[in-house]
Amino acid sequence: MSDLDKAISELRACKIIPEPQVREICHKARELLIEEANVVQVDAPVTICGDIHGQFHDLMELFRVGGDVPDTNYLFMGDFVDRGFYSLESFLLLLCLKVRYPDRITLIRGNHESRQITTVYGFYDECLRKYGSANVWRYCCEVFDYLALGALVLGTSSTLEPSFTDKSQAIEPVDDDVEIEIMNSRNEVTARFPRSRRRLFESDGLNSSPPGTPSKTGPSGTGATSDSGGSHHSGGAVLCVHGGLSPLIDSVDKIRLLDRKQEVPHEGAMCDLLWSDPDEIDSWGLSPRGAGFLFGPEIVKRFNHLNDLSLIARAHQLVMEGFKEMFDSSIVTVWSAPNYCYRCGNVAAILELGEDTSNGGVIARSNGDAGRSAQAFMPNLAPRSGPGRRYRVFEAAPQDPRGMPAKKPVADYFL
Amino acid sequence: MAAPHIPNLNTLRNARGTSRGRGRGQGSGGPSITSYEEDKIAKDKIVQQTDQDASVSRLSAVEAGYLDDPFAKYFVSGEGQRRLPIINRGTYVRTKAIDNLVDEFLSKNPAQRKQIISLGAGSDTRFFRLMSRRPVPHGRGIQECPNVIYHEIDFQANTIQKLHPIKKLSELCSHVGTPMTISHSTNPSEVYNDDTLHADQYHVHPVDLRNLGPSRPAPRSFDFIDNALPTLIISECCLCYLPPAAADTVALYFTRHLFPDSTPVGLILYEPIHPNDPFGKTMVSNLAARGIVLQTLKRYGSLEAQAARMKSYGLEGTGGASVKNLWDKGVEGNEKERVAGLEMVDEVEEWELLAGHYCVAWGWRGGPEDGVWDGWQSMAEQLGGN
Ligand SMILES: C[S@@+](CC[C@H](N)C(=O)[O-])C[C@H]1O[C@@H](n2cnc3c(N)ncnc32)[C@H](O)[C@@H]1O
Repeated sequence: MSDLDKAISELRACKIIPEPQVREICHKARELLIEEANVVQVDAPVTICGDIHGQFHDLMELFRVGGDVPDTNYLFMGDFVDRGFYSLESFLLLLCLKVRYPDRITLIRGNHESRQITTVYGFYDECLRKYGSANVWRYCCEVFDYLALGALVLGTSSTLEPSFTDKSQAIEPVDDDVEIEIMNSRNEVTARFPRSRRRLFESDGLNSSPPGTPSKTGPSGTGATSDSGGSHHSGGAVLCVHGGLSPLIDSVDKIRLLDRKQEVPHEGAMCDLLWSDPDEIDSWGLSPRGAGFLFGPEIVKRFNHLNDLSLIARAHQLVMEGFKEMFDSSIVTVWSAPNYCYRCGNVAAILELGEDTSNGGVIARSNGDAGRSAQAFMPNLAPRSGPGRRYRVFEAAPQDPRGMPAKKPVADYFL
Repeated sequence: MAAPHIPNLNTLRNARGTSRGRGRGQGSGGPSITSYEEDKIAKDKIVQQTDQDASVSRLSAVEAGYLDDPFAKYFVSGEGQRRLPIINRGTYVRTKAIDNLVDEFLSKNPAQRKQIISLGAGSDTRFFRLMSRRPVPHGRGIQECPNVIYHEIDFQANTIQKLHPIKKLSELCSHVGTPMTISHSTNPSEVYNDDTLHADQYHVHPVDLRNLGPSRPAPRSFDFIDNALPTLIISECCLCYLPPAAADTVALYFTRHLFPDSTPVGLILYEPIHPNDPFGKTMVSNLAARGIVLQTLKRYGSLEAQAARMKSYGLEGTGGASVKNLWDKGVEGNEKERVAGLEMVDEVEEWELLAGHYCVAWGWRGGPEDGVWDGWQSMAEQLGGN
């Protein structure tokens, strides 16, 4: 077993690895990451994950629910560290997996992958506590500076592959018309939403039905946007970024031009990509977080149209149901830290995008390139038909089978 | 980049929940004490210790610049700990909201002497903050040191803890004034001893609230409560630790039994709400894991239930708002900007959840001719909703 594999198995057992090895792995990771573009190109199939925040046991649950590396391709949209008790183990495991299987796992930067934020929200303290010095924190921060700012998922399918199931079970095909499928952590379908009736969700913005309550009532059916007609099609390109859009960025190409190898600045395009949030507002607004902006539906639809994107996937905001599609499914928030901070009582989700095999696996389009003319954009245009989306919803990791509760910090309340 | 000044939140978390003694607890488990009693003492001790959490949070908010309170540091035993930005903000909102209600009450007819009774006062610094006010040359009346008698009630273990720095430090005892004697007692130790204080404007009563009731004799120190003065009763996260029936008995004892109908009485409650949604359920179970049971939460789990509760105490006017709403609608312009700028709050969604699960509710009766409660009425109207 190589040293790296040993490190992986130690980390999987939630044990820390020696400081010199951390240093070496961070070094290797940097060499890999430096080669990546600001916007990494990722081919479907891929499973997109949101914030982890050092909730190591829940990350293990995520791998159990979504499949292990390298069997499943993963794209993590940042915020690996802070708040939880095991930021070190979580981040180092992901980093080792990245070094071990560089094509199987993509890591992009979240706003917590920053020196300043980690000193306030726990990662710095955790490193000091576990290693007795800030060296490991420093190595990790150097890696943070090299993480990509976004990813572009290409070659997605408009339809859903059958979910992997227990090998003994017969694989049940999924109707081509299904655009969204929600599964629970026992691999059971809890809801399906056909493409032709997707408008169901839009009314209240929150589209997931509570896990375990399959929606029986159909969507209100205001807009039949179906263009799939039941056959396999490309699901278009999906831009993944931790926070959202920036008023300084009108094309994916502009992201590619940024100089990313630095601490997250307090303002500017790079800061916005990591800090902004979608909101039901007219265009741009001030963010209550004190960094980044709020952006409304027209901003997203316009950006997607101009960049030939079918969807933006982002993380950054806690959503109680694990995921939340907004603005006619032009953007989705994916949140992967169940019972966030051991306090919020939320479930988590990951998003699976299947591979479009209609073209013999060849990715025909170069989505994400700017070049669509602005004049062609009409705000009321039906959104581009998106990829088939399977959300796997899961709860916080069960307690240790031996009855030992996983060591958890006590959440603060007002007493 | 080192940040040695930032304390480790997690060590704090580990330390809490374990039985850090307060120096002097209630009783020491002798062999004659039954296990039932031992259990009761242990449970009471956990409730008493919740005040350490409150005082540490208060100091954290002061040190981060949210609150101006030079007295907070005297009531924190041991080291202070920095809290997360959302906890600081919540401490700020709750303190300011209650301060505003208190100011509205005191500023009406400032010449008229008034009375405040704080239930489970713990390390509350409000008395000292009020007494240290100095008239501002061109300021409004409320900036002056108010004409008020302030009573604090808590377990004996807590009043001992509270009085310790008060007796020792001139910064505190200079505000207390001259200790006085109880008319029917010649024993000075009953006036200013380890657990009790009676001074001109300040009284500390070592009383277990659960022992109060209409058919029981009142504690002797309650002689100092003047049942003719317009009176404000505050329960800042106190009655929620009592069984619902006991909490009602205590509230009714003050709103109905102790004061005649002719006396204007107001009540302020600060409590958690919404136990049944996912956040609320997690809150209940997380606190239960620390032995903390929010006993009234199920019965008074919403603003509507709190309003109905006020009515059941004979209070005709009611108001209430979640901490979230108190922040959204109750903190204004420049001040909001100042506070929001103190720390980068990345936990926006978490703030909304947490702040949606606490409320300040207020209710009042009597005194319409003086308009004692006009300010409360307008706060109810301004902050109405959730
Ligand atoms: C969370 S602390 C709040 C302290 C203070 N009111 C504040 O907000 O900072 C709760 C207080 O209520 C007191 N308390 C709880 N039950 C009580 C009872 N039965 N009798 C007297 N005090 C009680 C506790 O001792 C403790 O000091």
